[in-house]
Formats: sequence, C-alpha cells, structure tokens
Amino acid sequence: MSIAVAPLATAPGQRRPARPAPVRQTVRVPHPTTTPGAADAALVACADGDQAAFGLVYDALAPVAYGTSLGVLRDPHHAAEVMQEVMVEVWQTAPRFDPARASARTWVATLARRRAVDRVRAEQARRARDQRDVDTSFVSAGRDVVAEDVEQRLEGAAVRRCLESLTPVQREAVVEAYYGACTYREVAERLGAALPTVKTRIRDGLSRLRDCLGVRHG
Amino acid sequence: MADQTRAGWELLPAYALDAVDDLERRTVERLLETDPRAREALEEYRDVVAAFTVEHAPPAHLRDEVLARAVETPQVRSAAPSGASAERRPRRWGLVAAAAAAVVAVAVPTTVAVRATQEQARLQQRVDAIARMVADPQAELVRGQVAGGGEASVLVAGDDYLFSAHDLPGPGDGRDYQLWVVDAEGGVTPAGVLQVDGGTVEHLVQGVPGAGVAVTVEPDGGSEQPTTDPIVVLGA
Repeated sequence: MSIAVAPLATAPGQRRPARPAPVRQTVRVPHPTTTPGAADAALVACADGDQAAFGLVYDALAPVAYGTSLGVLRDPHHAAEVMQEVMVEVWQTAPRFDPARASARTWVATLARRRAVDRVRAEQARRARDQRDVDTSFVSAGRDVVAEDVEQRLEGAAVRRCLESLTPVQREAVVEAYYGACTYREVAERLGAALPTVKTRIRDGLSRLRDCLGVRHG
Repeated sequence: MADQTRAGWELLPAYALDAVDDLERRTVERLLETDPRAREALEEYRDVVAAFTVEHAPPAHLRDEVLARAVETPQVRSAAPSGASAERRPRRWGLVAAAAAAVVAVAVPTTVAVRATQEQARLQQRVDAIARMVADPQAELVRGQVAGGGEASVLVAGDDYLFSAHDLPGPGDGRDYQLWVVDAEGGVTPAGVLQVDGGTVEHLVQGVPGAGVAVTVEPDGGSEQPTTDPIVVLGA
C-alpha cells in the first residue's frame, strides 16, 4: 500500500486540481491518511504486542520516516536504512507512545529526524578525523544548503507556504538548521551572524510557523 | 537555577530542530523533566518540524524486512533478558561496537555550567570532581542510542567517567542496570548498579583505567561479571 502525499498547504499559485488551496490563513498540519487517528490507534494497539497493528502502522508511517530521512540525507540508501531503524524503534518503544501528547506522525518524524541528523553528524565527525589538517572546510562545504535545492525539497511540505510568513533572515536560519542538520552554533558560523541573533531567529521563526500552521496543544 | 530554566526555554525551538549540542540538550531536558508546559511547547514545535516532512513511499521490499525484524524485537516493557545457562559465562567485548554506536566526539568547553544538583554539601565533592572533568581539555563526550530505548552519554576524563542516560525503560522485574568500565582489550570492571529515576540516571565513576563504558541488564543487585550482552557501549 502506498500513501499519497496530501499537502493541505498548497501554494495559491500552484496547480493541484483536486485540492484547492485553503482559504483561511491558518492551515492544519496534514496527516498521511484521511483519518490521522487511525495511525495513532494502531500504534497504541502495537503497545500490547499486536503484530497486525504494526503492519498498519508501517503502511501509514514508514513514508513519514522515509520522507523525513530523505529530506535531510538526500541519499535513498541511507534514508532506507534510517527508515528501517526508525520503524523497528517504533515497534520497540510503542508502549511509550502517548497519543495525548503527540500525534503518531510527529512522533515518527521526530525519531526519523533525530537519527538522520545523528547520521550526518557521525559522518561529519568521521570525515573531520580523516581530513584533519587537510581541508577542514570540506565537510561543511558538502552540507551547504542551496536555495533552489530547498525549494525542491519543500515541494509538498505543509510548512512551505508558512515559510513565506517569516522574515528572510528567520527563514534562512530555520532552513539552514533543518536541511543543514547542524546546530544553531554552526548556523551562526555559516551565516556569519552572532550566536544570540541566530538563536532568536530560530525561536521566532519556529514560533511564527507554529502560529501559521495553527498548531495548538492543550 | 532560574537562569538554567530560562536558557532551557530559549533553546527549546532549537532543541526541537535537533540544532543543539549535547550540553545544551541536557539543559533543555532538565527543564522538560520538571515543567509540563515546556513539554507541551516542545510537542508544538515538533509538530512544526514535522511539517517539513514530505512523505515518500519507501522501497516496497523493505516492508517484509521491517515486519520480520519487529517480530524478533522485544518491546520495551516486556524486555525480559533470556536466562539460559549459556548466558552465565563471563563475556568480553571488543570496542568495535563502540565505533558503531555513532560516536560523536566533541570538544567540551571549559566554561560549562556544571549542574550543582539540589546544592547540598554532600554533593560538593562530586560536583568538584565533575567540574575537574569538564575542565580537562582531554575530556571527551560520547553518546549513543541504548538498545531498547533511551540515550546515553559518557564524559571521559582520564580514568574518570560521568555516565548519564535518559528515557531508559525500566530494567524489568528483579533486574538492574549495571555499568561497566571496558578496557581496550575488552576486559570489564564492575562500575556500579545504576539508580534510574524516571528513566534518567547520572553516575560518576572515578579512578578506573579503561577505554569506555557499557551497560547491561543484570539480576537485582548486579553481577561480578556481565551475564547479558550490553545494551549500550560508549568508547572514547
């Protein structure tokens, strides 16, 4: 079974016949299936060791894990490995999933991002060791986030339209941190900006995105 | 403490983006442990970060592989280690596993604000020891995932180790987590039973030569030699 990507946040100018752009300024975070509760419920069932429920969880959420990893790693082979690790971890730690706190989609996306970022950093550390004294700029150069590339990666992402509501510097900092898989300290270095400035840009940027996306808990 | 709380709040969005270093991560996680509002705010930021995800169908053949692996993988609350007699013999581990544990070595800044937990005099000695470790320019911080869930890290300075972990599941009835110092040849020295509180633990080991640490699940009270495979190995 494959899950169609169903972005609700389609840019107004974009042609997407069956799915008109939402009229309201605030859009909801999209879920992979028509019933986001189904993935949550299946994941809760997994907590009791229900293998059949895990099949449903896989079908609903493996595309989230794979898509998240692919967005960060850009390499299908690495992304597939991360997806597998994440989905096994999802099974393993299903008893800890609390649907009152997070959606299954966000939970899986969080796990996948963490692992993808760890992989990037481990690789950077390895290269830094290998390349020590040779060319220290190599590693960071390899992870430069190119603007056109970002546009392509964001195609179909719920956050895409909301990113336009950020100031250029906020957007730059958030996008660099997300796709560069780097710490805000490294973002500051790459952008040649002061550390507190970058921290503030990321914070304000994410807060604005939260409001634009209409994310509210509690 | 108020400063730490504010620092934690300020770092929360960057934490949701995985854009913090290990020490900042600890600052945030300390806030999360005590403040439910911070946990709620974090989930909101995580929803935002998840909105960057563009779903993509993975290669179809992986489905069966993952489902088969899940069948073989015990879940966190039912993680009962096998008690077969073959498991009783002493074990030695190569540190090869440490390389696979996604070792992230970072330079530890000397200006780190060491947590002086519930400032009490009896903790002072411990705090001093940790401060010395953190100030050691040779100190290395290594972190890795724990099999079965959670994350662990160890700060290694000379023959001293500050091990910490969070999000650990319970070790199971009649079981304890036990820490070991592992030397370069794979020999192990018992380094104490871990007192896990709410999935979190911090454990200081001093004066034991070695190359890293490992954690196993042992019968209540710990063992003289490990009787199960390590759930995490962290090598400097």
